[in-house]
Amino acid sequence: MSAAPYRLPPHPGERIDRDRPVAFSFEGRTYEGLAGDTVASALAAHGVRVLSRSFKYRRPRGVLTMAGQDANTLVQLGDAPNVPADTLPIAQGLEVAGQNYTGSLARDWGSWIAYFGRFLPVGFYYKAFFRPKGIWRFWEPIVRGRAGLGRVDVKAHHRYYDKAYAWHDVAVIGGGPAGMAAALEAARAGADVLLVEENPFLGGSLAYARADAEGELALRRLTQLSGAVRSAGVRVMTGAMCQGVFGENWLSVIQGDRMHKVRAREIVLATGSVEQPAIFRNNDLPGIMQGSAAQRLIRLYGVRPGKRAVVVAANSDGYGVALDLLDAGVEVAALLDLRAAPRSCARSEAARQRGVRVVPRYAPWEGVIGKDGSVAGLRIARIVGHGRCDASDETIDCDLICMSIGYAPSAQLLHHAGGKAAYDKASATFTIRGVPPHMAVAGSMDGAYEIEAAMADGRRAGWDAVTRLGKSAEEPPMASKGGAGWNHPWPVFPHPDGKDFVDYDEDLQVSDIRNAIAEGYDHIELLKRYSTAGMGPSQGRHTALTLARLAAEATGRDIEIVGATTVRPPVSGEKFGHLAGRGFEPVRLTAMHHRHVEAGAQMMPAGLWLRPAYYGTADKRAEAIRAEAAAVREGVGLIDVSTLGGFDVRGPDAAELLNRLYTFNYKNQQVGRARYALMCDQTGAIIDDGVAARFHDQHFYVTATTGGADRVYQSMLWWNAQWRLDVDVTSLTAAYAGVNIAGPHARATLAKLCKDVDLSAEAFPYMGVRMGTVAGIPTRLLRVGFVGELGYELHVPASQGEALWDALLYAGREFGIRPFGVEAQRLLRLEKGHIIVGQDSDGETHPYMADMGWAIAKKKPFFVGSRAIAAQMKRPLPRKLVGFALTNPLDPIPEECHLVVRDGAIVGRVTSAAYSDSLRRIIGLAFVAPDQAVPGSRFMVKLGEKKLIEAEVLKLPFYDPDGKRQEM
Amino acid sequence: MKTMTCPLNGVRNISEFVCGGEVRAMPDPASGTDAEWADYVFMENNKAGVVREWWCHTPTSFWFIAERDTVTDEVLRTYPAGDVFTARRDFDAPNEGGA
Amino acid sequence: MVRPVEYARRSFLHRRLAEHGAVFAEIAGAAVADHYGGVDGETVGAAQLALADLSPLPRIGFKGKNAINWLISQGIRGLQADNAVDLQYDGVRAARLAPTEGLVLCDLEAKSGTCARLADAWSLESAPLCFLVPRADSHYWFAVTGARAAEMFAKICGVDLRPDRFAEGAIAQTSVARNNAIIIRRDLGRTLAYDVLGDSASADYMWRCLLDAMAEFGGKPAGLSALRRLAAE
Repeated sequence: MSAAPYRLPPHPGERIDRDRPVAFSFEGRTYEGLAGDTVASALAAHGVRVLSRSFKYRRPRGVLTMAGQDANTLVQLGDAPNVPADTLPIAQGLEVAGQNYTGSLARDWGSWIAYFGRFLPVGFYYKAFFRPKGIWRFWEPIVRGRAGLGRVDVKAHHRYYDKAYAWHDVAVIGGGPAGMAAALEAARAGADVLLVEENPFLGGSLAYARADAEGELALRRLTQLSGAVRSAGVRVMTGAMCQGVFGENWLSVIQGDRMHKVRAREIVLATGSVEQPAIFRNNDLPGIMQGSAAQRLIRLYGVRPGKRAVVVAANSDGYGVALDLLDAGVEVAALLDLRAAPRSCARSEAARQRGVRVVPRYAPWEGVIGKDGSVAGLRIARIVGHGRCDASDETIDCDLICMSIGYAPSAQLLHHAGGKAAYDKASATFTIRGVPPHMAVAGSMDGAYEIEAAMADGRRAGWDAVTRLGKSAEEPPMASKGGAGWNHPWPVFPHPDGKDFVDYDEDLQVSDIRNAIAEGYDHIELLKRYSTAGMGPSQGRHTALTLARLAAEATGRDIEIVGATTVRPPVSGEKFGHLAGRGFEPVRLTAMHHRHVEAGAQMMPAGLWLRPAYYGTADKRAEAIRAEAAAVREGVGLIDVSTLGGFDVRGPDAAELLNRLYTFNYKNQQVGRARYALMCDQTGAIIDDGVAARFHDQHFYVTATTGGADRVYQSMLWWNAQWRLDVDVTSLTAAYAGVNIAGPHARATLAKLCKDVDLSAEAFPYMGVRMGTVAGIPTRLLRVGFVGELGYELHVPASQGEALWDALLYAGREFGIRPFGVEAQRLLRLEKGHIIVGQDSDGETHPYMADMGWAIAKKKPFFVGSRAIAAQMKRPLPRKLVGFALTNPLDPIPEECHLVVRDGAIVGRVTSAAYSDSLRRIIGLAFVAPDQAVPGSRFMVKLGEKKLIEAEVLKLPFYDPDGKRQEM
Repeated sequence: MKTMTCPLNGVRNISEFVCGGEVRAMPDPASGTDAEWADYVFMENNKAGVVREWWCHTPTSFWFIAERDTVTDEVLRTYPAGDVFTARRDFDAPNEGGA
Repeated sequence: MVRPVEYARRSFLHRRLAEHGAVFAEIAGAAVADHYGGVDGETVGAAQLALADLSPLPRIGFKGKNAINWLISQGIRGLQADNAVDLQYDGVRAARLAPTEGLVLCDLEAKSGTCARLADAWSLESAPLCFLVPRADSHYWFAVTGARAAEMFAKICGVDLRPDRFAEGAIAQTSVARNNAIIIRRDLGRTLAYDVLGDSASADYMWRCLLDAMAEFGGKPAGLSALRRLAAE
């Protein structure tokens, strides 16, 4: 560690804390900065100038804007690539590395590429690597190795990002003079105001620019305004980047690890403007920066940006830069003024008085490259015409070149919202041409460059906003805006040897742009895409203006017609973490969930729910499923069916509604009975199934599949919004916990807990339903079952589900009761030939195709899908669902979607298959050709490229065909 | 994000809603032809201009109707379904035919 | 010591509450988390930000064309506007969620018998086109209390719940952390507070989301005792 030779003595307004040194490392070397420094400013204080290598030619790059607006200072920060070093605050122990080099930042082994620049023409990627065939395989690893910016650590730890909503009457974006004035005006009129500033402090240009000869006006205004803003109750968000404006004034503002989603009734954009570079040979050398960048280094961070400087100016601000440099002890070797007849102002007079050599009508012609790759001098040349110069007649030694030749408005957010900016010849830059409703613009982006004008413009915008909100406030005077003199119309001085960069991010030179236009890409949008100009991290901030100028010149079109490229969010780089946020993953748990976990269940997702797949360790999966299935077949088992949808359908038209929504007839259903419920959509396809239990003339309790419950509920309500039947549908999916107790001992187990319902087969037969009490819990008992054994579905209030589960397991101990999971249930139901909607049916399966014509009431006037089914039944069935067993017991179990083939053609597919212990065969369900659907016929299933296995159609159900076991 | 005004719950972010498609009259199941049904089930008008659409406020499962300009994506008006569907609908038995 | 598993009716997340160190008390035939630590400290904390589980407390809903009229016929006051709550004489609050839906929430002491009385009075025959909805089972019931509550909600809910925009007694049926929820502004004494009711199967998820969102403000679980103290202030 060494002293910082470029650090200036303390001065008012600086953002560093002289008493708090902070050590960090860059490229493995430790440096000491001060709290408040950015990585770039702290390195600049040590004279470190090269911060990165360029994307294509690997040219060394350094500070350009000191505002995080360019790719020049992108560095690697641990696992985070592409962090702008000029805005990244230093922190104790921070480890920073440069990007895009092989070897070391100072001596990049890959910079040889620059010597081959003429072989890397614009559109290189579109032209190269095509021939000979296969050559891409050779080039790909080389190109991939060099491509991209920075390194992504795919093993990076997940960090906590989140989001927050905010609501404000007025959101002001930009905390410079205009933004602060606007916020103040709106707050004073009684509005709830948010002020968003991307820097860690308010002020904008007031914090670094020199508006007067004496150099104290800006800071005075900053102190006044920021104090007033805070005392007026404005919510100030600093270090916050507004990344986009979306529909209905919806703003994305990123601050730290949080994205604020701000809804503002009115928006004031005061995002300022971006200083533009001059285009000349080697204008990218470290040490060549915007005038405002030098001022930021001096005023914000107390860093002397160089020892001997040349200022390239085309406006009064350039003279302010010269004065600031002098005050910072920098020798100003010359000030080139691009203008033929520079206008005099207080700052220019002061600069002359302090002995600055002003050279009017002179252009920077070529930057001289020093030993370390940064700038060592500037060749200058007299301007003789539009971008044309005499031969260079002088070289000025310097280590710093400051460019102050004009501005372009930071109008990205305005573009997002549908506003317009277009080139204006009078002011020689883009100007705002259309502002969407509920939005105002102010400050330098609105052409109000002077501090007092910007403040007046801001007041006016704030007043505008509150007036539209219906608040009354005194109308402030109009600001004086626009006018010539701030932007040079042609700060472009192409050099015959190139390296006159139009776009630093993409290493694009003037000739690249001209060549692209010559190749026919002369529309501004095509030009951008083909050349990639403006597609790097700077997003055209420093390029769009030059691009429009070059396009207009080359095509002979009016620059006001050439226009600018479309601007889309985000304004600057943002992380996926910000977009993803907290990552909410809702999960629904049944009342018995913890009992399953305690019993060692492997839980599986079912929609948002978690259900037990089986109970036991993963290595004993098959055994567990077999044992669970055996318990149900031979003893008694218990499965949690709480995830099934459940609906109370009540009212005089309850049966009528079900009649229209499900395929069966429910009007003649007796109270105390359940009936299968099959639901189709309007195309006739099966979309859900369950049972409808009738507890009262006006009350059905209908179940639905776990995955279909929400959709079924919404569709029931939607239909009745049109039919206006006297019926209410209430979702009880979460309100009722459910268990299915099944197996030969189910009745005996239940009888120990249920005394108020006669459970005998005669009194409570299969498909009967009762209301009763089980273990003291009010229970809806449904004698239905999916698994084909004597069984009861017990539905109880969710708050008592766990108690019911405990009571049943306790009561069934003597019968060897055990819980079973979804996997065993799937096997058991397959043995019974019950379909699972969505597995054994698809979006084109109507009931007849699934061999479920028995579930359709033929005499009903209507049910959803009836008309489509009728139309389809006028034609032969294209396929039919059948039960099958493999003929060779040694064949492997086919998987879902294995194809049924005949004579090389696909005629169907397997939908379910498993080995059945009860039947000692591999059984399954499959779609086959209708003529293959007769029991006894055989068909072939294609397992792989060549493997065919034979299956035989069996009558369903496979197990207990007469249903004696479930009806006992 | 856009907002939408739910007739029951007021102005909410559009993420609280799902669109249920165009409001269309279902043909009479008894008298409608297969062609009419095929059109009703499978075809959308996809009109450029103001359309009436079903929307559901998911937190309350409240279905309502919105008039939306598909060109500007501007929601002009929302109102309860009962404003359009004022009367109970019944279906005739198929063998009796229908009007 | 009161243990939740001694009762058939249990909070949907009684294990989670126990993990936080809840000390339970009996209320309405179930165990409610009464406090987690010292009630004094918890009350101070709850005035800033806290989360309480009220799921064991009685509540009941009615739906249907005639639901609101029936509730009025049973002596419930108010119910004149959608998404608004009316306080009853016995501390019970009645909410109209829609022209066809009412929700009745018991008082913090659970002393009122209104919910049970309504359940007893209702039948399909006696209340045509009015249908009972078991809200004590379909919905968890949490309370979020404290001055920072609105700021916390802004992280997970898209409705502006700041006290100057969302009045006492107002209801928002909306989405919280991607879950549907009913939020009711119900201040406890001088302390800003909200009831949150939602899918009972999502109770554990929502509890975790709310505590996570509260962490930066120091929000913690609070028991019913602290809430009662706030209400009495």
